[in-house]
Amino acid sequence: MSRTPTQAPRSVLVVAILGIAFLALPVVGLLQRAPWSSLDDLLGRRTVLDALRVSFTVSAMAAAIVVVLGTPLAWMLVRVDIPMRRLVRALVVLPMVLPPVVGGTALLFALGRRGLVGQLLDRWFDITLPFTMAGAVVAATFVALPFYVMTVEGALRTMGDDLEQIAGTLGAPPLTVLRRITLPRLLPAMGAGLALAWARALGEFGATITFAGNLPGRTRTLPLATFQALESDPEAALALSLVLLAVSLVVLLPTRDRWLPTR
Amino acid sequence: MNLPALRLPGTAIMRLVVVGLLAAGGCSLLDDDANSDRLTVFVASSLTDVIGDLATAWESAGGSGLVEVVGGSNHLAAQLRDGAPADVFITADAALLDLLTPDRTPIAVLARFASNHLVVAVPIDDPAGIRGPADLQRTDTILVACVIGVPCGDTSFERYGDLPIDSYEPSVRAVVARLALGEADLGIVYATDVAAEPRIIAAWKEPPACPCVIYTAAAMTERGRPFLEFLESDHARDVLATHGFAREAQPPGSS
Repeated sequence: MSRTPTQAPRSVLVVAILGIAFLALPVVGLLQRAPWSSLDDLLGRRTVLDALRVSFTVSAMAAAIVVVLGTPLAWMLVRVDIPMRRLVRALVVLPMVLPPVVGGTALLFALGRRGLVGQLLDRWFDITLPFTMAGAVVAATFVALPFYVMTVEGALRTMGDDLEQIAGTLGAPPLTVLRRITLPRLLPAMGAGLALAWARALGEFGATITFAGNLPGRTRTLPLATFQALESDPEAALALSLVLLAVSLVVLLPTRDRWLPTR
Repeated sequence: MNLPALRLPGTAIMRLVVVGLLAAGGCSLLDDDANSDRLTVFVASSLTDVIGDLATAWESAGGSGLVEVVGGSNHLAAQLRDGAPADVFITADAALLDLLTPDRTPIAVLARFASNHLVVAVPIDDPAGIRGPADLQRTDTILVACVIGVPCGDTSFERYGDLPIDSYEPSVRAVVARLALGEADLGIVYATDVAAEPRIIAAWKEPPACPCVIYTAAAMTERGRPFLEFLESDHARDVLATHGFAREAQPPGSS
């Protein structure tokens, strides 16, 4: 916009640049060790292609579920006076701070073959989630959902509900208000939340290997393949890391820096 | 948000930051003084259940306290190569020692001080009704094993060949956990795991056979050397035997 940028105190800038350097240095470290010349060969391998396919499928499905579950959830957190809101909110954010391995173990106890709900799935529908691609999707969704909900929730809160109130007084039914006013204004934030959640799902490791296991072509995602390659083939691990880095950047870059709707 | 306003003048915040940094420095985040009088031992994860008893025996024999770092042999080797402080490295794959050089050359090596053979194990209630080796090829069961590249995975592959595996676990402990929790129907683990974990049993009876895993201990520092001597003692051998480790490697060809 036309406002002049704030004059930045030099000391603040120095610290900020230190922060950037701290975050960028590992990426540089990765890039300078990358086996550029043999990259073609490394990335053409069956294991890499399998991992790419699994990662893409799993993260895309997780992202879709995240939007479907997360949008109403974020809306409810802001617009509905639910009891124990703080507790609900803490529960929603929990997977963000929980070590993913703990999340995966918790998923096992809940949805594993002997888990709380999992044993019913097994007995009634003959469905077992661990060691299936569906299990990997569950793990990725579990860790990615909070990123989406937090983003959309923040936007909803900033947006306020003045327009919705007006539409309501003019006689628009609640679902029409949601569809014609709330959702269109929310789209940029939903896009940003989706990008974050997708990137998180792509990078998911701990919950996946704990809950879904590790089988090429079925549950071995890019991060699992990278971890695997570190055991035996560090060059391939570097190549896989590059792929993961590139894909994550592609997902994150389109995120605009001003996605919060203006009032 | 209606957080209660916490008002701190800028200088107070800066002071807090500086004090925090100083405190962190004082606690020596960067060096390991805290463990300076103890011996750091990197241990292959298949020795998880025995290392505690070995530590007790070592201390009762007058040794200093032990800091045990348990993990996959390959991971531990990678950490050592990157400069992790260890006095002793006990690996399930002797070849990893060669990969340490030239960065970290062991100053003494105790080769083949114990061995461990593989068994096919099932959860104690045997949900899939496993009868014999032919069941390894069944595709209606969930079979887990270690990933190729770690000692238990390589040995599994050498011994059993290509199997319809449902998940390649990063370490033998992960395979044991799958079975103990009843998430898998059968898995390939060590004889010592079956002895240690009450929730799993051997799927069928068979004599110990190789290809098997043979442990090698390496002293990475001068301080680690006495621990190698301890591992050769009768006391240590008794502890290892109690946990189901074979006293010496099977002679080649005995399988």
